[in-house]
Amino acid sequence: MISSLPRETIISIVLFAVAWQIMSYLAPSLGIPAFAIPGLGRIAQSLAKITPLDVAVTLGRVLLSLVVSFVIGLLVAMLMYLSESIEKYLRPMVRILMAVPVVSWILFAVLWFKGVEFRIVFVLVVVCAPVFTVDALDNMREVSRDLKQMIRSFRPTPFQFFHKLMLPAITPGIITSWKITLSLAIRVVTIAELVGAVTGIGHQLSVAQELFSVADVFAWTLVLVVLLFLLEALLVRLETRVLRWRA
Amino acid sequence: MTAASAPIEIAGLRKVFRQTTSGQSITAIDQLSLRIEPGELIAIVGKTGCGKSTLFDLLIGLEHPTAGSITIGGKTPYDDFNAFRGKIATIFQQDRLFPWRSALDNVKLPLELIGIAEDIQHERAMTWLKRLGLEKFANAYPRELSGGMRQRVAIARAFAVQPEILLADESFSALDEVTANELRKTFVELAREFKSTAILITHQLEEAMAVGDRIVVFGKSAALLADVRMADWDRADYALLREAIQNTLQANAPDARLK
Ligand SMILES: Nc1ncnc2c1ncn2[C@@H]1O[C@H](COP(=O)(O)OP(=O)(O)OP(=O)(O)O)[C@@H](O)[C@H]1O
Ligand SMILES: [Mg+2]
Repeated sequence: MISSLPRETIISIVLFAVAWQIMSYLAPSLGIPAFAIPGLGRIAQSLAKITPLDVAVTLGRVLLSLVVSFVIGLLVAMLMYLSESIEKYLRPMVRILMAVPVVSWILFAVLWFKGVEFRIVFVLVVVCAPVFTVDALDNMREVSRDLKQMIRSFRPTPFQFFHKLMLPAITPGIITSWKITLSLAIRVVTIAELVGAVTGIGHQLSVAQELFSVADVFAWTLVLVVLLFLLEALLVRLETRVLRWRA
Repeated sequence: MTAASAPIEIAGLRKVFRQTTSGQSITAIDQLSLRIEPGELIAIVGKTGCGKSTLFDLLIGLEHPTAGSITIGGKTPYDDFNAFRGKIATIFQQDRLFPWRSALDNVKLPLELIGIAEDIQHERAMTWLKRLGLEKFANAYPRELSGGMRQRVAIARAFAVQPEILLADESFSALDEVTANELRKTFVELAREFKSTAILITHQLEEAMAVGDRIVVFGKSAALLADVRMADWDRADYALLREAIQNTLQANAPDARLK
């Protein structure tokens, strides 16, 4: 994994770590409180205390929400593709959904729903599903007219039309959407978890904040970033496998 | 093997398109009447924009006639769309293969759509690839094949459903001459072997004369300028016939020699 990183990437990360360490030495003499820039050793201690359960819970919430968003997003896109009038009514709603700030969704979720898990999934789905819808619809529109005409000449059922032509044709676009929503979801989930959750990375971040532990915040953030990179790497592998035909 | 059993009856056919941009109407086909017998091989020639491809869209049932009718065995391709599943197949100018499917899976596509048992799908698709000399490339993706090979796959795909009616819209005109001749020959052989009714659109008169039992010449808006049965002509007079059709196309009016 690390050996596959470009040299420049490794160097820039090392340089950042060195700069951070120097800053942490110099902090007291610059009048910055010592806890604000903890040394690498202190951060390593925090990392060692990372609880895998919280990571797993957050990961679970993200993946579940993304699957739900994907299914809803795709179904809505299909409906909009099939019916022009449905498309006309839904498009403004989708646009409005996408314009609402995440914080508003979190507040709505808190005011509307009791269950913590449901609140978190709600926020993630309402943020991610429209992305899937808009992307899928755009991609379906771009499927070659020639291919649509060809398959229609063989008289497919509507299900066959989507299953045999549309889905494979928009798969490259769908994978791109997953990359976008994945990083979106990872960033949104922690905010959603700040409200009421007693598990998950977001909850641990809020605990760290109450303890004034910059080292803990740093450590949990690092875990999140690495998690995102790992998931993205997984998607890229999937992509090369699924899109072999493009090469 | 399903040989074509019903004639194609085109009566007073009209198709008007309204351009979405200019709002103008274009009469692509005006008052076309034509009867095509089962098993007949017919070539349609005509200048660009005269409505040939539109006629195919109507025959396939992708478009609805503005007036008039197309009837095949008492059914119309547009209104009885599903009644023609597996009975009409088209070979387009471009291969129109799914780039994400192998050659074999591309041939399988229509078999999947018409609901043929899975084990038979594979066997039949393979048989057709073999017929077209592509058995070694069954697992190749379209991007790995040459233009001629891709068009062979498209031909295999069309024949695999054993259609009663075969439509070919300038199917060989994007290929080099040698390949085009070869594929054209294969196409005619196969159409005859399976007794399909076959209609080939072409802008090359040579091609039309090489393929057709019958050559139909379209003028503007698919006006029927000439309807020539090759059997009525002596091989010795082909040069004359060629000239007469050429003349018809150029003048947009029937040449006297074609009666
Ligand atoms: N979907 C459509 N909407 C509007 N106009 C159309 C449509 N399809 C065809 N036309 C018009 O109808 C006329 C006939 O077109 P068609 O494609 O049938 O010609 P063609 O004989 O196949 O020409 P070519 O030899 O160039 O392929 C043209 O003027 C074309 O612009
Ligand atoms: Mg055409």
